[in-house]
Amino acid sequence: MVAPGALRVVRCGGSALRGARAVFSADSKYLLYVSGDFVKVYSVNTEETLRLMGGHADLVTGIQLNPHNHMQLYSCSLDGTIKLWDFMDGIPIKTFTVGTKLLALYTLASAEDSVFAVIPKKGERDTFQLVSVTLTKGAGQDLEGKELSVVLDGVGASMKHIAFGREVCSPSGFFFLLCSVGWLVLVFFSQMNCIFSLSTTKTKGGDNRFSCVVCHPKEDCIATGHADGKIRLWRNFHDKKEYTYSTLHWHHDIVMDLAFSIEGTRLLSGGVESVLVQWHNESSCQKDFLPRLGSPIEYISMSSDGDLCCTLHTDNRISIINSNLRFSRSIQGLIKSRDVKTGLVVDPRTKALVLNGEPGHLQFYSLQSDQQLFSLDIVQRQYIHQAGLKQSDLVKVAFSAQGTWLATVEESEEVTDPELQLKLWFYNEEIQSFELNTRINTPHDNHITDMCFRDMDELGDDSLILVTTGRDCVFKVWVMVEDTDPEGDVSWSCDFVGSYHNYQATNCCFSEDGSLLAVSFEETVTVWDSLTWDLKCTFCHPPGNIRNICFGRLTCSKYIIGATDYGFLCCWNLLTCALEWSAQLNVVVLQPDPLSEYIAAISWLSKESSLFVFKPNEPLPVYIQRNLCKDKILLAAFVPRDEPEITSSEKYPWLRKSQLFFLTDTQICETKILLTFFFKLAVEESLPVTPFSLLLGKHRHQQAQEDTDLGKLVVHNKQKQASPAVKELLHTPAHVLPSASFLCTIFINSLLISKEKKSAEEVADEVEMESEKAEDDSDEEDITAMEQEDTSHMELLGEMTCKLSKSQEKELRKIRKMDYSWISAL
Amino acid sequence: MGEFEVHRVRFFGLVPAGVRCLACHPRGSRLALARTDGAVEVYNFAANYFQEKVIPGHELRTVESLCWAAGDRLFGAGLSGDITEYDLSGLSAARGVDGGGGPIWSMVANSTGTQLAIGCEDGSVKIFQVVPGGIQFERNLDRRKGRVLCLSWHPSDTHIVAGSIDFFRVIDVTSGQTVQRIMVNHHVEKAKRECVVWAISLLSSGTVVSADSFGRVQFWDWEQGTLAESHTVSTSAALSLAVSEKEDSIIVGTSTGATYQLQLLPVTLGGQEKRWVRTKPFQFHSHDVRAVAHSPTALISGGLDAQLVIRPLMEKIQKKSYDAALRKFTFPHRRLVSCARKARLLLFQFSQYLELWRLGSTEETGKDGEVLPLCQMPEHLVQLKSKGPEHIYCSCVSPCGTWVGYSTASRFHLYRVHCDGDGVSLRKVPKVPKLLPPAYQLQFSADSDSLFVASARGSVHVFQLLEPGGCKHLHTLRPPSGCSEAVYLLAPSADGHWLAAVSGDWVSAVVPSVHCPLLQHHCTVPTYNCAVSALAIHPSTNNLVIAYSDQQLLEFSIPEKQYTSWSRAVQSRGLHRAWLERDSPITHITFNPKNPSHILLHDTYLLCVLDKSLPLPDDSTLLMNQSTLKQLPETARKRQLHAFKICKKFQPLLFMDLLDENCLVVVERPIMDFKTQLPLPVQQKKFGT
Repeated sequence: MVAPGALRVVRCGGSALRGARAVFSADSKYLLYVSGDFVKVYSVNTEETLRLMGGHADLVTGIQLNPHNHMQLYSCSLDGTIKLWDFMDGIPIKTFTVGTKLLALYTLASAEDSVFAVIPKKGERDTFQLVSVTLTKGAGQDLEGKELSVVLDGVGASMKHIAFGREVCSPSGFFFLLCSVGWLVLVFFSQMNCIFSLSTTKTKGGDNRFSCVVCHPKEDCIATGHADGKIRLWRNFHDKKEYTYSTLHWHHDIVMDLAFSIEGTRLLSGGVESVLVQWHNESSCQKDFLPRLGSPIEYISMSSDGDLCCTLHTDNRISIINSNLRFSRSIQGLIKSRDVKTGLVVDPRTKALVLNGEPGHLQFYSLQSDQQLFSLDIVQRQYIHQAGLKQSDLVKVAFSAQGTWLATVEESEEVTDPELQLKLWFYNEEIQSFELNTRINTPHDNHITDMCFRDMDELGDDSLILVTTGRDCVFKVWVMVEDTDPEGDVSWSCDFVGSYHNYQATNCCFSEDGSLLAVSFEETVTVWDSLTWDLKCTFCHPPGNIRNICFGRLTCSKYIIGATDYGFLCCWNLLTCALEWSAQLNVVVLQPDPLSEYIAAISWLSKESSLFVFKPNEPLPVYIQRNLCKDKILLAAFVPRDEPEITSSEKYPWLRKSQLFFLTDTQICETKILLTFFFKLAVEESLPVTPFSLLLGKHRHQQAQEDTDLGKLVVHNKQKQASPAVKELLHTPAHVLPSASFLCTIFINSLLISKEKKSAEEVADEVEMESEKAEDDSDEEDITAMEQEDTSHMELLGEMTCKLSKSQEKELRKIRKMDYSWISAL
Repeated sequence: MGEFEVHRVRFFGLVPAGVRCLACHPRGSRLALARTDGAVEVYNFAANYFQEKVIPGHELRTVESLCWAAGDRLFGAGLSGDITEYDLSGLSAARGVDGGGGPIWSMVANSTGTQLAIGCEDGSVKIFQVVPGGIQFERNLDRRKGRVLCLSWHPSDTHIVAGSIDFFRVIDVTSGQTVQRIMVNHHVEKAKRECVVWAISLLSSGTVVSADSFGRVQFWDWEQGTLAESHTVSTSAALSLAVSEKEDSIIVGTSTGATYQLQLLPVTLGGQEKRWVRTKPFQFHSHDVRAVAHSPTALISGGLDAQLVIRPLMEKIQKKSYDAALRKFTFPHRRLVSCARKARLLLFQFSQYLELWRLGSTEETGKDGEVLPLCQMPEHLVQLKSKGPEHIYCSCVSPCGTWVGYSTASRFHLYRVHCDGDGVSLRKVPKVPKLLPPAYQLQFSADSDSLFVASARGSVHVFQLLEPGGCKHLHTLRPPSGCSEAVYLLAPSADGHWLAAVSGDWVSAVVPSVHCPLLQHHCTVPTYNCAVSALAIHPSTNNLVIAYSDQQLLEFSIPEKQYTSWSRAVQSRGLHRAWLERDSPITHITFNPKNPSHILLHDTYLLCVLDKSLPLPDDSTLLMNQSTLKQLPETARKRQLHAFKICKKFQPLLFMDLLDENCLVVVERPIMDFKTQLPLPVQQKKFGT
């Protein structure tokens, strides 16, 4: 088997830009922001990302400038380390290992050698404490930062829940305050005791839980944002009774963040309204607005000279705004759509990933720069933020091979009677963008399930065909027709409607040469001739509907691969019209590489995703990576490389021409925000190929070989197997069953008791002892058993079409053995 | 079938007049309030903000400004151009002194209360000396063009600041010269609208605070003539302003009905520098807040929606008590309805007319809570307009429904009502004896053959009513020792032997009634330090039940001249806390002849049947337990029963009386009905509408 660890998963983009408040450098020339595990340095003037500072092993949760050296930056991460960076050069200076998750970071000018951080309290869930971390002075780069002293228990986890106030000259020292969801506490640092605390309750008037807190830079005034949209400015809080507050109210929903200007005369607030509000002199009557920022504001930060402020939005965008509330520029990361319905599509022209962006838009996302290239408005309708409103959204996207045509399907969220639109866009070279060419209302009577272009580079534009499949049990073929008007424009119209036994059409796929179209109808795969639109043959692998189908490419173009709901991956031979092999695998994503014959299948089993790469002509996978990542992989795509890679090509031929990217979702329970990350597989470069490793790899390979040799076919109690065989027989649709004369012998055979049963069982024991290393034996056996049943059954079906000679049968057995060994790795 | 058949009356179209101005007594114990119809009311803070005194209005006497001076003397001035002193013991307005400068917009007393300054239409500011028995013109200060809308004395009495349209000026009192004239709109380029300075205040530090029609509260240094701070509190006009005695807090009323507090707060903790900060907004009113006052512990505001709101400042209140809750008063603390039980008539008293209604009737019966259809609709019998500009003090209809009496400040009127079939005729009783001071309360005896008239100095006149239409003054009952205050409540006993009278100096006197041969004063109920809000004599036991404004209930046996044992038990045990912290005082007490142990009482928000035979509730039990009782089984219900059976179904309740054993009449005035009769408030955009 393949040596593990040689390939690793790299988080390569799409990470949230809003892990923490962004920070302006002291001269306001640079903006430092968090992007997943990295901290990025962005030049405000040139609009370029200058540096990428990576080193944290988990999400960065807070960044703060070093108050004693403005060229240095502290960052903290969930991996339990605090790093000090020289952000001008992008090099880490020091790493302090704290050991527990760090959720927020604060620095103070007066605290020379310590920073403050929020950590989860040991032994208690959802309880957090503010600690001061003493940063030991040492010579080395990696230092321990385990001297923690707890400042306050029960704080909120978000960095917005704590603010440090002005330093007071009086002996009481500086104060800081915290607000958590339930209470506001004011603590004078030197006394270390809470002198003012206020709890909020859900009153009849509204929900006045705190959402954020900031301190006035010059005066003793605290501004708090509340869940009901109010901002309260607290004063006189040194007195338990005489404290007082005033209220500013414009937001209609929760105030997400607040920021004071450097003199404290202006207060900025933002929330879900996507409007930045500037309050002057704490007066509720004088306020300015910057509306239409696009999406809810999550964090606001101010530069130290007060010239610029930046807002971090929930759609992964950073907007930089001038002091006179003029929008200046923005950095757009990957927009996390609520539901990526379109899947991951690669734009052949730009090699950008194309997927759902903001509602009704298609975003073109460049993985290289981790930025959105542009956003194409497909729905072209005003999006209204309102819960429960039925919106139209983009559900399917397909590009033609050259990227000149783009087909999109949008539907309204109505479940029963969707309002469908199929749009065809032509790429206009002059304006460098897609232009709407044809709009087809209600192309199908029900939801469109799949759509593909006929990818034929050599045949030119005339052969361009679009196929759509729908739940209205038909697939439709759309072709270009020349308009009658003198300008000779083209438009699209329906050419052929196909159906199969009134089953819902679920997937469609063209063969590489475009001569065959495969359409899956529930449990059946049908193959059609694309010239005459005749039904050529059907394949079926009950039970379970077909989830994905694809044709093999290049040398494997005679195969068609299908994945079913009940966890089978089947490969049919188009020449023999027979099942070539099948395997039990709960395939979530089936993605062929457009430039090679390799196909990637990603399975989801017991809370981990695994990657299998195989060639259709061999049932043994080329590569298996178990436990690819903990999250469920939603989508994957092969992105062609600009130049074929040579270094890793021997070991990983399937990565030579393309890179595999996949998209996961991580649901953080506290905030209910979907974080989506792009990952890619990269060859581990730090592991050099040494003779030893080669030897090790060889040895392993040999061992695997032995395993396969030893792992003789496990033959099961035929009686046990008989009843499912009969059942399968009865369940298989009659039209795919061969004549009864064929079935008879097989049926009788299935009732016979095998002679080699005993010996096989012994061998099976051996197999279990030798080859299974970390697997749960009983489970494994179950799976194997199932697999065996199915393969044998498939074999039956295979046998029906053509009589097998003894040698062929032997070969088939061999395949079964191989199957078994691969499955055992599951 | 329920216990009572209830006539739910909603046709009393009372619209209380809006609050025009407020004046807090310098020592903070009383609050004087003037309404837009010219009525002046005095509230006593100590007695749970009881509306202690009411001086009905006068058509020609609008009150623009009220102030307390020289101790407890109350002065009012208005657009008639007169300065009027109010006789608080006689509950009447004394003759006014002409200010001599046209309509008077504002009047303030200096810190010692010896001088009054008035601001007039012609732009003059005049100073009057308060002398015993009246006021005396002292001098004119510098006159400038433009009406003087507001005035304020410097606490040291050396300067007066006078606000006009677009400017205010500071006048030196000794020289009478204007020393500073500041344009409030100077820094606004080409201001199109004029800016009215509605309220102004001169602080001891020399800071002038002005509230203007642009919704701004501005702080000026008057010596330099510079603007120190400006707070735009509202998009509409800021109408009123009051400063606390310590000068660290200001309340501002605006025309949108919102009030705002501004506080002088240190910029940094423990720092010396202080700044005015707008803090809490309050939205209690729907209409203009024309008057605000700042007591040491509360913010008081009165609006054109007739509400008086007392919002306590929690930080100034040491312990939780009655004062610690928000109080809102809309309706008067006295009865405006009288009922003829036998004839089933209701008499409603408005400021200048009376309405006589006959109740509807039904022949059907139904279950508890069911609405019965009427077979005869309630009928508006007659509207009786009072002549002259004076407003009505009191009115009464006799139990038999044939006599109606009312009194204004100067005259007492008695009418004979003849109901023959559908027609109603009203005939004035000729030769009614003239009474010099006004009658404060009228009460017919139960058999309708005599009329008691409460009068000044604790005296009660007794008239004999003669058929077919005449009356004769029998005699005047006087308290044994001299009493200066007017009698404001009367309660005759059902058998006609006793009459209880309450006078303003809080003595409840009991005098034997007409038929007793000696007609002498019988006894005086021990003095209590709160005003009586209602009283009644029990028909069978002749016990006098008294409700005080601090929600205490006492029962006094007239024959035995002492408190009854039940009353003593109540006093020793104490009433339920929820009962004591109620909003409004008991305004009427009546008894159920069917069940002598029942006392029926009501205030604005609840109707209570007090069952003396049941145990009193303690603080741990629920006071309003009727709804929970309904869900309990019979046996458990018995254990949970206590003396107070409270019904909150009818709100706000202006009157309740028992017509007969099982028939009750309640008069409601739903707030929404009354709000629709007010002028439209300032249009405000509300989010989501």
